[in-house]
Amino acid sequence: MRAVLGASLFFLSCGLAWAQAGYTIREVEMKREPFDDAATVAKLAEKTPIEITRRQGAWMEVKSGQAAGWIRMLSVRMGAAGEARSGSSGLGALFNIGRTGSSGATVTTGVRGLDKEQIRNAKPDLAELQKMQGYAASRQDAERFAAGEPRLASQRVEYLRPPKAPAAGPHDPFQQGGTQ
Amino acid sequence: MKSALALAGFALALGVPATLSNPTPAHAQFRLDAGRLLDTARSVTQATTEIDEKQEVQLGQQWAAMLVGAAPLLQNASLQRYVSTVGRWLASHSERPDLNWQFGVLDSENINAFATPGGYIFVTKGLAARMRSEAELAGVLAHEIAHVVKKHHLKAIQKGAWSQVGANVASEVLAQRSRDPTAAAAGQKLISGMKEIMLRGLDKADEYEADRMGVVIAARAGYDPFGLPAVLQLLNTMSAQDSGLQLLFETHPPPGERLDALERATGTRLDRYASQPQVADRYARTLGGR
Repeated sequence: MRAVLGASLFFLSCGLAWAQAGYTIREVEMKREPFDDAATVAKLAEKTPIEITRRQGAWMEVKSGQAAGWIRMLSVRMGAAGEARSGSSGLGALFNIGRTGSSGATVTTGVRGLDKEQIRNAKPDLAELQKMQGYAASRQDAERFAAGEPRLASQRVEYLRPPKAPAAGPHDPFQQGGTQ
Repeated sequence: MKSALALAGFALALGVPATLSNPTPAHAQFRLDAGRLLDTARSVTQATTEIDEKQEVQLGQQWAAMLVGAAPLLQNASLQRYVSTVGRWLASHSERPDLNWQFGVLDSENINAFATPGGYIFVTKGLAARMRSEAELAGVLAHEIAHVVKKHHLKAIQKGAWSQVGANVASEVLAQRSRDPTAAAAGQKLISGMKEIMLRGLDKADEYEADRMGVVIAARAGYDPFGLPAVLQLLNTMSAQDSGLQLLFETHPPPGERLDALERATGTRLDRYASQPQVADRYARTLGGR
């Protein structure tokens, strides 16, 4: 139980204020507010290390040296530039939420799972699948949920077109080093 | 309209109750119909045949049963119910709103999410525990919903990942339309074909398409559409060597490339929806509480 609480507190704090390290993937303008037409506070070069405070929609609030402001989240990658994917996620110890229902017994994992080998050996379990039907929500259930707090308002939005000509973008590795 | 009718007929035949909140105890619901499965196997594996919704749902049931056979559902009714409701709300904003959509959390430390034909969608406990808001969950579920809407799995089957299996199954069907032995063999082949696709992954272009559709479906459902990119950013910080991520990384383009592609497709087009709710506190509450 305490582990459950601990995990939830951890994720709560994650959602509200992260203060994570990141870096820019191209030259970006740092804005005073999270809008394109807000005043530009600074220009950050590609691969500038930043500290991310929070995300708001398409924007992240960041600090870099003395400068603080907002940059577009899709211009940011988490981690340290150049070694973004080294090491493990470091979150491995947090998994204590898988306790079974009323009995309170801990699930023994390792027998089943979703590694490649375990998928290869999986046998269909129709009884387990049937449980899922018991959890299913109807369209009306979902509508009631969305009408609650916070309200989720339906929008009409067109799908995005596929981008033209991938690869040779502004961060093409072969174009690096060229000054403008 | 025709497909809705077909689905209704199917539900009737299998005894699915009208109100989904009242689960049927009847095992008949999932009984394997030998002849029908053979028919499904045959049409699915013939690229020229359009498989109908009834067949798709039946195939999806087998696929989903195999998945919960690999990792059972997490025993946390309130979390399951919550994920189902969020998922159902999203699915109502897709082009297949009337499918019998079902959503579940798998009791696995692996970080992944899955869809099967017919509208079965799964997210692992490992991924659920790392996400930070309902908008992030919505982004992931919406990506999976897009795979079902676009029938990417059926495409993968018909493209030939499975052609040998299909040929075998079809010949058996033609040779003897008999009962259980053949059906069992056909069932085995179907299942191994499904596993093959799960281990190899879908077409990479289909993953990019599901990303582009996922952010839009989340926006349509009233969520901040940047939940999916936020999850991709998180994955991008993790190591491909992390054993819990191996399958995801092997079956999808690298998260950094998915982010790049999403950025190019999105531009500023979704900015006006970016202030829609992220719902971080309800997510944390439901995930942690009972």
